[in-house]
Amino acid sequence: MDKIRVLIAKPGLDGHDRGALVISQALRDAGMEVIYTGLRQSPKQIVRAAIQEDVDAIGLSSLSGAHNVLFPEVLRLLKEQQAEDILVFGGGVIPMEDAQELEKKGIQKIFTPGTSTITIAAYIEKAVMEGRGKDTGILEPPKGIDHIGIAVRSIEGTLPFYLNHLHLEVEKIVEVPDQQVKVAFLPLGNSKLELLEPLTRDSPVAKFIDKKGEGLHHIAFSVSSLQDRLNQLKREGVTLIDDVPKNGAGGYPIAFLHPKSADGVLVELCEVKDAERTDND
Amino acid sequence: MIDKEKWHERAKEEVQKHPERKEAFTTSSSIPIDRVYLPEKVDGSYEELGFPGEYPYTRGIRRTMYRGRFWTMRQYAGFGSADETNKRFKYLLEQGQTGLSVAFDLPTQIGYDSDDPMSLGEVGKVGVAIDTLKDMEILFDGISLDQVSTSMTINAPASVLLAMYIVVAEKQGVAMNKIQGTIQNDILKEYIARGTYIFPPKPSMRLITDIFAYCTEHTPKFNTISISGYHIREAGSTAVQELAFTLSNAMAYVDAALEAGLDIDKFAPRLAFFFNGHNQFFEEIAKFRAARRMWAKIMKEKYGAKKEKSMQLRFHTQVAGSTLTAQQPDNNIVRVALQALAAVLGGTQSLHTNAKDEALALPTEESARIALRTQQIIAHETGVADTIDPLGGSYYIETLTDQLEQKAQEYMEEITTRGGAVAAVEQQYMQREIHRAAYDTQKKLEREEEIVIGVNRYQLEEEPQPDLLRVDDKLVEAQLDRLQKVKQERIDTEVKEALSALKKAAEGTENLMPFIIEAVRRYASIGEICHTLRDVFGEYE
Repeated sequence: MDKIRVLIAKPGLDGHDRGALVISQALRDAGMEVIYTGLRQSPKQIVRAAIQEDVDAIGLSSLSGAHNVLFPEVLRLLKEQQAEDILVFGGGVIPMEDAQELEKKGIQKIFTPGTSTITIAAYIEKAVMEGRGKDTGILEPPKGIDHIGIAVRSIEGTLPFYLNHLHLEVEKIVEVPDQQVKVAFLPLGNSKLELLEPLTRDSPVAKFIDKKGEGLHHIAFSVSSLQDRLNQLKREGVTLIDDVPKNGAGGYPIAFLHPKSADGVLVELCEVKDAERTDND
Repeated sequence: MIDKEKWHERAKEEVQKHPERKEAFTTSSSIPIDRVYLPEKVDGSYEELGFPGEYPYTRGIRRTMYRGRFWTMRQYAGFGSADETNKRFKYLLEQGQTGLSVAFDLPTQIGYDSDDPMSLGEVGKVGVAIDTLKDMEILFDGISLDQVSTSMTINAPASVLLAMYIVVAEKQGVAMNKIQGTIQNDILKEYIARGTYIFPPKPSMRLITDIFAYCTEHTPKFNTISISGYHIREAGSTAVQELAFTLSNAMAYVDAALEAGLDIDKFAPRLAFFFNGHNQFFEEIAKFRAARRMWAKIMKEKYGAKKEKSMQLRFHTQVAGSTLTAQQPDNNIVRVALQALAAVLGGTQSLHTNAKDEALALPTEESARIALRTQQIIAHETGVADTIDPLGGSYYIETLTDQLEQKAQEYMEEITTRGGAVAAVEQQYMQREIHRAAYDTQKKLEREEEIVIGVNRYQLEEEPQPDLLRVDDKLVEAQLDRLQKVKQERIDTEVKEALSALKKAAEGTENLMPFIIEAVRRYASIGEICHTLRDVFGEYE
């Protein structure tokens, strides 16, 4: 799981930063990454810093009575920058009435004096986690198995088993130079088998065979919204091989997850558009 | 009759049967508190205790103290526009307040006009908005400046506000040497704890010594600085840190003034101090007593001051705003009363008692009145002012006074080895120490090692909703209109001339006060004056 990043900011001219400093340290102690802006920040500077620092949340502190003007201005600028997914919470000398009004306007929460730092950290963590879920929507599970990859020393040597005994057919055989691999596709229901033959000794598949011998190499799931899914997996702490999708041998975007995230199984995700899938079906 | 050892033994036996509330008792400064204090640490001799009004002034700086005159009851006030604040001042004077204390809004304190983009949302919020002399004339309309003493919480632009005060007095026909009051003018604690700095330390120190020099000659009854531990304590320091950092800052100002060629016994009598009246009752009383003794020794021994007045530490006290709770705000009245009592027992020269609703907003007229009444009750009803230093000779108080002095001295030595207060500020040394103490306090609250009634003990399910003061947003409009009007009516060439003369003087070494007075007289705004100085001095980052 990626650490929660929080920007603690002092909007306006107020110089009372005891609260801001204590909260900063408490959130750090709670495992978050905290950037403190220092005094006298305009809403514009705060929003710019929040976007640059790619934070999940902004904490605004004001004890000077300027909250009714400055807090909503931060919200407005975030919206203008299409960064309203960044949560904004606040604290300071803020009457209850104003707190309710600000929360109505979109401030996630106003923490009144006397709130414990433990409560504040827990609240932020929960709100950010919920926000991250909402960000991409809870993504649907994979729709099916796109293919199963099998590492072989020689396609020619292995094919007879699949052709003569299981009576499958070869759809095509292609070479993928940047993976230094030759691939044979054998359709199987909604799915297929991929036989992978290394083209060089340095090919990843060659190394795999050297280490583990021939056999099951990877399993590939068909999914939607591949990039969003990669982002989400990353945030959830899954180790990726590919941060961004690349073009697979099948002609559609794919990405590999690191086997250490699945106890040794190499997982591939393939983004197959629903329309294409239907065609194949 | 049993002896000391026997008693300690018996007490220990009892503790084994019935444990005490805590394993160890300590003050805010982590000084261990004994079960009981015995005569051994205080011999009761006059040499040990000293006399009030005599060096080293542990027991007070006057020979009659409150038997002669009560402390000055000086409630910090100001909000919205000058008109509105003028009304509140008159109300407080009618209610028996004996001195004025002006709260300025943040744009004024940081040298921005009300129409500056930096002032967005802040105009008239934490105090009164002052843009030009015009606002100052309205602020003191109907208040004779030879009849009242006025304290102004103003630091980076202290010269500008002092200049306005001098010109307002002049317009009222009051001679400069008659005006009485204090400007806070303590920039070091702004870098450390309060945040309303403008210029870097060096030119800031020059502005301060210019004021010292000018006032010594022209306004002999005006306190040229109020060296403040208050905000250091509010930012989270311990009592010992408050003491040590304040006195270290004071030494930095003295050093700067001496370096500027001023005579110690000329400027030192106008140095004033400002401390916090916090929760730990006895530690606070001891702190005030220790402060007096330490300052007297520093002035005499280190700086060779000769005049008594140079050695006498005079101080204002405000009770601790940071101890006020938003929860069950009426409880704050009781906190304030106890904190104020400690300040009086510690021998304060003037006192501000906080209003019960200040954790939520600026005080209403009603809450401001109760705050004033609280100190009036202490003065008139309790009898604590009828003798001097009533706790002097208490085994505990005398021990604590010694311990605070000793611990503060250790801190001050550290600051000296770092090159003095200015260098220590630049190294962020005091800022870090204070933050550490503040975080420690927060953790203690959360572990419930420290109890705050209504916050982490004896909470209410439903909090009462008090009526709060609202600063009317229309006041901002009116303030902007007034500024516009002043700018239209004044003579632009005069303003330009005055500002360019000020700029030239700032680039040189002349005393800036006469130039600032001239600019103010021509209705140059605080923003214009401060921007002129920013151009020359730069800004502190």
